[in-house]
Order: sequence, then C-alpha cells, then structure tokens
Amino acid sequence: MSRFNLKWLLILPPYIWLLLFFAVPFLIIFKISLSEAAIAQPPYTALFEYVNEQLTIHLNLGNYTWLFGDPLYFNAYMSSLKIAAISTVCCLLLGYPIAYGISRMSGSAQSLCLMLIILPSWTSFLIRVYAWMGILRNNGIINNIIMSLGLADEPIRLLNTEFAVYIGIVYTYIPFLILPLFANLVKLDNRYLEAAADLGAGPIKSFFTITLPLSKNGVIAGSLLVFIPVVGEFVIPELLGGSETLMIGKVLWGEFFGNRDWPVASTVAIIMLLILLVPILLFHRFQFKEMEDR
Amino acid sequence: MEVVESSSFAAKRNNPDYLSVDKVSKQFGGFTAVNNVSLTIKKGEIFALLGASGCGKSTLLRMLAGFEKPSSGDIYLQGDQINNLEPYQRPINMMFQSYALFPHMTVEQNLAFGLKQDKLDKSKIQKKIDEMLSLVQMEHLKARKPHQLSGGQQQRVALARSLIKEPKLLLLDEPMGALDKKLRARMQLEIVNIIESLGVTCVMVTHDQEEAMTMADRIAIMNAGEISQVGTPSEVYEQPNSRFTAEFIGSVNILEGVVKVDEPNYVTIHCNDTEADVYIGHGITCFEGQPVAVALRPEKVAISSYAPDQKYNYVTGVVKEIGYFGSHSVYHVELPSGKEMLVTALNDIRWGNERLTWGDTVWVHWDDNAAVVITE
Amino acid sequence: MTSSVSKLNKIFLAIGFFFLYVPMIVLIVYSFNGSERVNVWAGFSFKWYGELFRDEAIMSAVWVSVKLAFASASAAVVMGTLASLVLTRAGKFKGKTVFGGMVTAPLVMPEVITGLSLLLLFVGLANSIGWPEQRGFITIWIAHVTFCMAYVTVVVSSRLTEMDRSLEEAAMDLGATPLKTFLLITLPIISPALISGWLLAFTLSLDDLVIASFVSGPSSTTLPMIVFSSVRLGLSPKINALATIMILTVLIAAVISYWLVARNEKRQRKLSEISH
Repeated sequence: MSRFNLKWLLILPPYIWLLLFFAVPFLIIFKISLSEAAIAQPPYTALFEYVNEQLTIHLNLGNYTWLFGDPLYFNAYMSSLKIAAISTVCCLLLGYPIAYGISRMSGSAQSLCLMLIILPSWTSFLIRVYAWMGILRNNGIINNIIMSLGLADEPIRLLNTEFAVYIGIVYTYIPFLILPLFANLVKLDNRYLEAAADLGAGPIKSFFTITLPLSKNGVIAGSLLVFIPVVGEFVIPELLGGSETLMIGKVLWGEFFGNRDWPVASTVAIIMLLILLVPILLFHRFQFKEMEDR
Repeated sequence: MEVVESSSFAAKRNNPDYLSVDKVSKQFGGFTAVNNVSLTIKKGEIFALLGASGCGKSTLLRMLAGFEKPSSGDIYLQGDQINNLEPYQRPINMMFQSYALFPHMTVEQNLAFGLKQDKLDKSKIQKKIDEMLSLVQMEHLKARKPHQLSGGQQQRVALARSLIKEPKLLLLDEPMGALDKKLRARMQLEIVNIIESLGVTCVMVTHDQEEAMTMADRIAIMNAGEISQVGTPSEVYEQPNSRFTAEFIGSVNILEGVVKVDEPNYVTIHCNDTEADVYIGHGITCFEGQPVAVALRPEKVAISSYAPDQKYNYVTGVVKEIGYFGSHSVYHVELPSGKEMLVTALNDIRWGNERLTWGDTVWVHWDDNAAVVITE
Repeated sequence: MTSSVSKLNKIFLAIGFFFLYVPMIVLIVYSFNGSERVNVWAGFSFKWYGELFRDEAIMSAVWVSVKLAFASASAAVVMGTLASLVLTRAGKFKGKTVFGGMVTAPLVMPEVITGLSLLLLFVGLANSIGWPEQRGFITIWIAHVTFCMAYVTVVVSSRLTEMDRSLEEAAMDLGATPLKTFLLITLPIISPALISGWLLAFTLSLDDLVIASFVSGPSSTTLPMIVFSSVRLGLSPKINALATIMILTVLIAAVISYWLVARNEKRQRKLSEISH
C-alpha cells in the first residue's frame, strides 16, 4: 500500500501540471472557437449562460464556416504546409551529410563538431533571424558583393521574399534535424559497412542499402521536429518574409493581436492542430519509444 | 534434503532448513518464469542454480533478493517468511553480474555504503572496511574509483561489498560472467575460499556447468521454470534422473530401448542401435517391456579395432570424425543404424601406432556399471 | 574506398559551418561600427555598447528575462525529472499513454498554439476563480515551465534508460530505501543530464518570444519582446551590440565547459592507464 502511494506521489505532480497547463487549454481553445467575437472583456461571447435559471448553450459554428469560406485561410494553410515541407527537405539534404560526417568522426573531433552545431542554437533564435535581415537587405552584404562584382546593376530583392523565409527556417531549424539524426547514426556499427564493402558494395551502394534504411528512425524524428513547428512559425515569416508570404502562424497572430478576434484565432489554431494531428502522433510514437523503460 | 514434499506451515516452522523455497511461482503477464519450485538449502552451503538463459534461474534469484515478489508460494529464511520484505529489509546481499559498483564512489565508499544504511558508527565502519579490504587484498586500491580498476579487481570489490554486512545469505548472479576465461578459473577458487572462510551460505546463478561444478556443493538444474534435478556435482553428472539433465551436463550418448529382462540384481535392455543387448549390473525399478533410455558418457566407453570378449554392451561402427584435443581425442562413430556415438579416448601413448583413423571399423564397448538407465 | 566519401563529407561540413557562423560573425563585426547607418563602415567603436547599457527598457527586460529563465529552468528540471522517473521507473499505470503524449507533444507544438491556449486558460481562470488577477511574470513562468519540462524530460529520461538498473538494485540490496537510493545513487549519476537539462531550459526560456507575447501582461516585458519590436522596424546597431554580447557569452561558456570536460576525460584516461 505504501508503495502504491509512493508511486502516485511521483506521478501526480507532473501529471496534474501537464493536464492543467497543457491539455485543458486545448479544450478551452476549442470552446472559444465556438463562440462569437464581442466587444467585451474578454472579447468573446459566453458559450454557456444561465438565463432564468436555465442553462443555454450558444453554439456558433460561424467561425468555421467563415474560415472555409475565405480562401485566404485555405491558402495560408496550404502555403504553410508547402513551406514546411520544402524547408524540411532542404534541412535533410544539408543536414544528413553533416550528421553522417560527424557520426563517423573520432572522439574529440566529434564532440567539437557536435558542439559547433549546437552552439548557435544556444544563442537567441530571434538574433539569428535578425542576422539574416542584415545580410539579405538591399544594401546588405550579399547585394554589395553582387554589385561590386558587376553581376547586377541594382540590388536584387532578397529580404521579404519566400526565399528569405526558407533561408531563415533552414538556418534556425537545422540543428533540430542534425541532433536526432546524429544520435541515430552514431549507433550505426561500422562493421555493417565493412561487411557490405567486403561483399562487394561500393560506398554509394552501401549508403543506400545499409546506412539510409538503418537511419530511418532518425530521419523521421528529425524531419518531424522541423516540419511540425515550422507549419505554425510566426517570427521568421514576419521578419524575413514579405507581405505576399502567407503563413498560418502569421495569420493567427494577426487575428489575435491585430483584429483582437479571439474566436477566429482559436478556430485557426484548432484547424492547424487537426492538420498536424497525424504528424504529432507519429512523432510521439518515435519519441516515446526512446523514452519509455525497456 | 532434496525436493521438499511437505508444505504445511507447521512443518515449515519445525524444519531445520536454513533457506527454503516452497512452491514458488512467478508469472510475468501470461508468461510463467518460475513454476512451482521448491528447494531447501543448508547453512554454510554453496548452492548453484544452473540452467540455460530464460530457464527462470535469475528470476528465482531476484525473488530471493526481493527485487521480484513471488506470484504464489513462500520463501523462508531461518524459518521466517521473507516473501513480502523489501530488498532493503532483507539480511541478504547480492553480487551483481555487472558488479553494479557505484561509479561516483571510491572502493572504500562503495564498501561503506551498506554499513552506513545500518547507521553504524564511523570507527566500526572503518574497522570492517579494513578487514574486508585485506580479505580481498584490495587495501592498496581503496581510494580508486571503479572505472580505474581491472575486471578482476572490480569483482573483488563487488564481493567485498556484498559480504561486508555479514548477510545471512549471499547471492551471486553469474559471478564470472564479466571475466575472461583465464581469470575465471583463478577467481572461482578464490571466491569459494573467501566464502568458505566466512562460512556464508550462498546461492549462485550460472549458465556455465563447469563453474557450477567447481564452485558449488550442490546444484539445481533448471529447465523452463522448473527444477529438473538437485544434487552434488557428481550426483547430477553420474546419476542424471532425466534425459534433460544427462544431456545438459557434459556430453552423453542416449540409446533408446526396451527392458528385456528385469531381475533383482541385473537388467538387460534391447536397443535398436546396438547388435548386443545392454546389460546393467544392478537392479532398477522398471517392468519388462518398458521403453527406457540408456545414457552413456563418452569417457565411460572404450574403443578398439578388435571385437571385445563380451556378450553384452558393445556395438560396431565406423569412425567418421576425430576431434583431437591434445590430452584426449573424441571419436565420432557411426553405428549401422545411422546413429552417431561419441567416444573419448586418452592419448596416453605418444605417436601410438595403433591410433585409429577415419573409416576404420571399430568396436565400442563398456562395462556393466557404465550406463545409466533413464526411466522417465 | 572511403577517401572520396570522407572528402565529400568534409565539404558538406565546411558548407554547414560556414552557413551557421557567417551571419553571426557579420553581426559581431557590425556591432563595432561607429556609423549610424548599419551597413556603412565608419571605423571601430564601442559606441553602441554604451548606448545599449544606457537603454533602460532593454536593461530592465534583460533582468526580467534572466530572472524568468532562472526560475523556469529550475522548476522545469524538478518537474521534468519527476516526469522522467514516471516514464522510466514507475512501470505501467492507468493513463500512462496520455501522460506520454503530454510530455512529448510540447516538443513540436507550434508556439502560436501553445501561447494562445495558455492565454485563454489564464483568462478563463481569471474569470472563474479570480486568479491570475493580472498576467505577468507568473503566467509566463507557468508557460515556460510547461514547455521546458518536455525538453528536460527528454534529456533526463534518456540518461535514466541508459543507466544500469542494477546500480539502484544494489543500493536497495545494501539497505537503502527507495528515496535514499534516488538521492544517493540515481541523482549523482544523472546529475550531468540535470545540468544540461537546466541549461537547455534556461536558454529556451530566455529565447522565447511567441509564447511570452501571448501570456505576458503590461507589467512584464521580456528581452525577446523588446528585441522583436525593435527589429520589426528594421536594423538597429544597439541590437547588434546586444547580439554580440549574447553570442560571446554563449561562446565563452561553451569553451569553458568544453575545456572542463576534455580535462576531466584526460585525467580519467590517465588514471585508468595507471591502474591496468
């Protein structure tokens, strides 16, 4: 009995904390997505109301029909998914060789390189995005170089484009892909590759038949760590993107802080969650397997 | 002293056995790891649980330590039921397979850990540590951390740590598992000497039959969660009670047959593999016509290139393979029935001319007391 | 066979590091630019550092953010360690799957969703039970603990699953109660993971803009909020100076920790050489 109590003493504090501050808030978002915006404090109508000792429920699906009716939202979701997918692929193309290269290094060189990869993510995310503003501006370094080489007469517009958004995302999110991938690749036994070489497979063949299939879990975990948050990214499209760069995180922010329309912002969030549900569950499966007791 | 039949509580109370395991079972989900095992162990005995991996020996050991609780059955130590005591409440200490030396503590701190839990005073703790360090000859390395020790040194520290609380029962989990072969032979004897000098009762788990036979006074052979035989090393080797035991310990030739003559002072068995009947020079409990197995150890049969002068207990065959081991050779002889028989012969003559070779026709023969009849 | 492959690897690594570090170097260089105009070089100067330290809004935001990061990281380590123990040591229990989901989901949850949902929770709580009266330090702290503890849980539980379970069993076998075993054996052995978890949580909290923007109140402005509102309007040399200080702080801390680890490893190697 005392053992039982001890176990729950351990379980309850983090459990209650997460229920209250992580799970319950989602129910509230859902609730508010079903109410109407109002000029009030807080700025939405109540869902449940006691009128004449009777509980009345004001269900309002208007926000959802509104969202489906306006192509702006649809386009924003689509463009977010597109940008997230393309940047994930870019991160993979650049990150995989780096993770692989580091995983094949020896002790001290490996830990040094790994630290050099992580180091930037310890400095501020905002600062790293800001750094690119300075580089991509019309009179920034890249344009200065291009013009001094005589490749162009007037500055090329780089900042406030979708290109800049991709650069920013790959730059800030690539460590999240490299780290789980590295953790996976470093466990790859070199003898598999030696055996493959011994059996006549060239380096490229053994990469595609041995290394890549064995690192599948790392690739999936790393890709999801990039893809999911990027779909809802706000800072990068706000600072590096232009007015034509549509991303749903920016739309949500605008609805909330700009229009002060909390119910619509909640609806945007709920639909984003629904879209991301499958990737989040997939990520959970991979991550949870790593963490649970064996 | 062997497998305990009686199980009533009163009988248990009066039982002078030091440790007794009474009808203990352990299920994990739907899997039965230990199935209705009963055992008794005497004071001062070194007892080995021997079996292949997955046979339940480790689960049984962990139930003695308290890390697992039996699903049913009881465990008594000096007559006291200890089933429900937590590991930290039991006067039992264990030497772990991985040694489990605390990596952040020195040798001395590792030894002090258990004594500190008992709140002994400092001078007493120090005295015990010094005694124990000198017993395992580790005084000079007491300030080292575990990772700065060799495998053999780590094992001494682990043994010292499990002995320092003067446990009523010492458990050894695969004691030689982490050592290389050469070191094993030395440490086996050393550990036995230390345990015997302290008179500690000890239960060990191993998958290595040589280790069990060298170290233990008695051995329990486990198979699929059950005990198949308990006995001294020579008993389990010379008188296996089942085919499993016979085949598990050492190598053996099993000939299947049927009892032909059943007399009080001898028995003959007809085997399909041998042209002559098998003659056993003593009576056994069986009946005529009963199917039995005859177990013959390879070193208890002789091989020659001429027919032996006997009516029973021989078979002819052809040498198919020869395994040369220096001191002895193992001949694989193919019988007319197609069955293969193993025969060990000492190479006691240097470059002996009479040495048999591949393809030779040979006679394999044995005397009246060489074979064991397994009637299960 | 591998020489061409490793050459290719080196090229990729070089590109990667170039890509990662050049923007920061540019920032650092321009922070010492004497000119008002960010892109025109007008000689070496510490001018912007002076301005930065005289900017009271930034300085007080730095103080708020550091306090917040310290408090969030400390609480997140406690909660994250509890959560890791639940995942790795408590065996099966009712609701474990839900618990696992709540631990891993914050790692990938888009910040705008987390921020909005927590804000709505706080507003709802304020309306129904009157707490929190005002959003500010406490509400940001709660938000940060919630998402930081997920990261701590990942770091700590991976150390806990790696750890040899027989160490804990040995301690109990020698008479230590579960609590004592945790304090004397488990905690010292996982302490490196606790430290890195704390540092990770500290930097995550220090860095967060989106969630804090949602749940903060008028009284508490964090450093990222100030930086964001400033860079939204364009480049600012003061921010360059701030960025340089942050980058150099991290760099120095990293070099020191790297040096400490390397020294420790070297010493241990030496000692184990002696013993064999």
